[in-house]
Amino acid sequence: MERRLPQFFFALSLIVLALMLGAVWQAASPAWKTYQQEFHRLEAAGEPNAAAKSDVLNADLVIKQDLLPGLQRVDRCTTCHLGAEDPTMKNAPQPFTYHANLGPHVPAKFGCTVCHGGQGLATDKQNAHGMVPFWQEPLLAKDYIRASCGRCHKEGEVPDVPELTEGRRLFETQGCRGCHKLNGVGGTIGPDLTEEGAIRRFPEWLEKHFLDPNTVSRNSPMPNFHFTKAQARALTFYMLSLTSEQMGSYYSSVRLIPSAGYGRQLFVEKNCIACHSIGGVGAKGGPDLLGLTKQHSSGWLDEQLVNPQTVYPGSIMPAYDLDTNSRKAILIFMASATAEDAQAILSQRAKALTPRDAAIEAGKQSFARFGCVGCHGLELQGGVPNPNSQGGEVPSLLHASDDYTEEEVIKIIQNGKVPPVENARGPAAPLYMPSWKSVLTDEDIHRIADYLWSLQKKKESW
Amino acid sequence: MNPIRDAWQSVFRRDPLSTDKGKSELVFLNVWLHIHPAKVKKENLKVKHTFYLGFITFFLFIILVTTGVALMFYYRPHPPQAYQDMKDLQFVVYLGNFLRNMHRWSAHGMVICVFLHMCRVFYTGSYKRPRQFNWVIGVVLFLLTLGLSFTGYLLPWDQLAFWAITVGTNIGSYAPLVGGRIRELLLGGHTVGEAALLRFYVLHVAVLPSVVTLLTMVHFWRVRKDGGLSRPVWKLKEEKPAQLVTIGAPEPVAVLAAGPASKDKTYGLMEVVTGKPIFETVSMEEEEDTIFSYPYAFFREGIALLVTVASVMAVSIFFKAPLEELANPAKTPNPAKAPWYFLGLQELVSHSALLGGVVVPGLIVLVLLAIPYIDPNPSRRPADRKWAIRAFTLFVVVNIILIVIGTMFRGPGWALVPPWVHIAGGE
Amino acid sequence: MKRRSIVSWGSAGLVALCSGISVSLAAVLRFLTPSVFYEPPQDFKIGNPADFSFGPPTFLADQKIFVFRDREKGFAVANAVCTHLGCTVGYFQSDEQFHCPCHGSVFSADGKVQHGPAPRPLEWFEVTVARDGQLRVDKDHIVPASYRLMV
Repeated sequence: MERRLPQFFFALSLIVLALMLGAVWQAASPAWKTYQQEFHRLEAAGEPNAAAKSDVLNADLVIKQDLLPGLQRVDRCTTCHLGAEDPTMKNAPQPFTYHANLGPHVPAKFGCTVCHGGQGLATDKQNAHGMVPFWQEPLLAKDYIRASCGRCHKEGEVPDVPELTEGRRLFETQGCRGCHKLNGVGGTIGPDLTEEGAIRRFPEWLEKHFLDPNTVSRNSPMPNFHFTKAQARALTFYMLSLTSEQMGSYYSSVRLIPSAGYGRQLFVEKNCIACHSIGGVGAKGGPDLLGLTKQHSSGWLDEQLVNPQTVYPGSIMPAYDLDTNSRKAILIFMASATAEDAQAILSQRAKALTPRDAAIEAGKQSFARFGCVGCHGLELQGGVPNPNSQGGEVPSLLHASDDYTEEEVIKIIQNGKVPPVENARGPAAPLYMPSWKSVLTDEDIHRIADYLWSLQKKKESW
Repeated sequence: MNPIRDAWQSVFRRDPLSTDKGKSELVFLNVWLHIHPAKVKKENLKVKHTFYLGFITFFLFIILVTTGVALMFYYRPHPPQAYQDMKDLQFVVYLGNFLRNMHRWSAHGMVICVFLHMCRVFYTGSYKRPRQFNWVIGVVLFLLTLGLSFTGYLLPWDQLAFWAITVGTNIGSYAPLVGGRIRELLLGGHTVGEAALLRFYVLHVAVLPSVVTLLTMVHFWRVRKDGGLSRPVWKLKEEKPAQLVTIGAPEPVAVLAAGPASKDKTYGLMEVVTGKPIFETVSMEEEEDTIFSYPYAFFREGIALLVTVASVMAVSIFFKAPLEELANPAKTPNPAKAPWYFLGLQELVSHSALLGGVVVPGLIVLVLLAIPYIDPNPSRRPADRKWAIRAFTLFVVVNIILIVIGTMFRGPGWALVPPWVHIAGGE
Repeated sequence: MKRRSIVSWGSAGLVALCSGISVSLAAVLRFLTPSVFYEPPQDFKIGNPADFSFGPPTFLADQKIFVFRDREKGFAVANAVCTHLGCTVGYFQSDEQFHCPCHGSVFSADGKVQHGPAPRPLEWFEVTVARDGQLRVDKDHIVPASYRLMV
């Protein structure tokens, strides 16, 4: 060994040199460069002359990045997906295919992952598609991509995505809030859903969960609501859209997509029919609105809605506090509104309710909104399994008046109630009546009690 | 056998300081102090010769490293948190305001002192043979000090910082061929942004201090090897031909040294006091002129340290380091000024970018580095070096004038305004 | 050890050492050069040609460029960053020139320095038509002042 030390040293140095070169070579040949070269060849094929062809073929190979501070994301998808905004690449193979129907959602402003999921920071296929451990937002299957619309468009309808509206409606009416918090309101028996769309974007799991919670979540206290496949899908869409992502004002300004439907809703809310008519139907306090959008520019009309005084000094039309989207929606509605619409609006004016009816109606709304139906049922029938509670299930409320006075029920709603256990040595029953006095006002609770009492089944007379 | 005494002595192994041996061992058995000679000549300690500027610069560096590390516990190098952290240091961190002021004023002090030290070394001709390369190392240390000050200047991320660095890096980009590339490497991008802040931070807290530390070690080592601290040799009486003595030999032997006895001390006399026989050739007069480093040299060093620390503390208590509003790339202050030590440069650049930004500074650096090699005069006596001294003084004065113009006489649009008109910026 | 063999090993070793050092140096330089920039992009779309008016140039503040549109010759895009020390210049219709507020540099309408400390004329950037019909500006490609894009 001693005699050959110099040679040994030399050999080791060569090994180190070779490893160094190996590391450098590995760093210099990532897969995305191959994709870019292939794309350049595709592009060159479409160029008319030799000079343009060689320009394209010799273009630099660089990582392309969309920096999105308003969405707090960085997306590098366009490093490989180079044809996304190139209409000539309609028939190119992936990853170079053209992305039709982007509309305003261009990568420079929106990136890709906010709709498609995936790991925008990555620069190789598997990691970028998010199919790796420790990444909670894998690429969404094509079928579910439109759920992401709800991440920004959180209110109103989204065209072509009825599942979002239906999902929201189901959530509010099926009593989910009784166990789940959303945006600070709700129960604590189940997990908080405010970030469900950000932390667990696995649609298959979500759908299975809605169809039968116990198949994916062992011993879950969540009852089986027996949703249909369509309802489970709608709720999945809604879950995927739930995020409280802090978005720049540009993105949060379109929470509600202006549409004729929303415009009509605002028209009714602001009671425009009280002064205006459409096609002769309505009031005579202000001008008729039929065809107005064809006579004036949208800018002029918008100004009219912002502050009528600047357009018509001395006008009696009040200045409504409407944001840009709301004003757009009203104008969209006015563009197609007819005398029939005015007639329908006039006749739909809510009939006046007696104070008692109004209280019961309000109580019914609260009962659904705060999730009471989740445990007590849409028809107050109870029946949701509650292991080891006396009776083994959530009781029906239809006979509450047999055992309690209205005052006692009000106290229970305020303070909550833990159900007595069947077997003292067994585990506590998972479902219990929470205390609502910090969430509901006393008036709310009284109205709920009124609602309950209005539905009490009379004790059968013997 | 007293076990406690044994344990103590296993840590502190020297003889008591009351003995000569102990005084010497304090120096050469101690890892922190053994760069010093065990004994020095009285002239090595003359305040009016060196003004202890080298020591002061070094002590300022120590203060900067200490306060800098302390500040690192509360500073994040990412905009805009960086600015918020500066506010936290000012308002909520215990002693935060004081430490930040200490850091800033020591930084300015170090730039000034390293420049004054360079002037002193020139004026005392201490760069001459055999100390030429140490001068070169010193010039490099000077440039590194400017680099440290410049990189640190960006870290508060206020308008002052942002625009000073924008101007400074733009001046740097005027260098032909490599200017643009150097700017891109420095900024990590095309404009001053988060990448630039991170890179400047890494340079400021890790890269540049390490290089400065390594070069300082070489610089001090060379001072020792070249004969110790500078002395005004032209003031000493002419020395008789050295009476050479060989110490420790049992009987007079032929001179064994390779060359004539050196006028400067090149190694310690620890051999004398240990009593071990060695074969050295030294001049007997030199022996009598020396005094122990402990306590004389160390006491003076300690005073220099205390004066430095006291001055920095006093300034830090009474004068607040500036912090303007949060950096705003969209709003350029008018005028936008580089840090004060680059204002002379900016003044030149305002007349001609290439000449003022590249040629003149480049030439200055090259000439500075080459001074020991282009100076043929072996004498250190000031009377023999009139033109060298005049040339250097002219250089210093012009520099100061340019900086003063840039600081006090330039207003919005870089127009000349008298200094009593309030001018924003400059520091 | 025979002397001869050491000499040949030595020079081979020297070659290996030099190549190791040069590879390391090159790798370090490449490491320090950023691959992505946390800044607005150098290559971006500015909209459809029809959206730009003739006459005085359109100033895009976020990208710091002026977009000129000429009836006969077409589009040209100028850098709004002064070549002196990086301030944003303004275009004044009164004298059809660019003025820099920081040190008083003045540039004519084609970018040439008329007055002041600016060392170089304002740069003109390449503007092309992208595949989807929008105008695309590339700040990494500087073109001569005479460059025009006819659409």
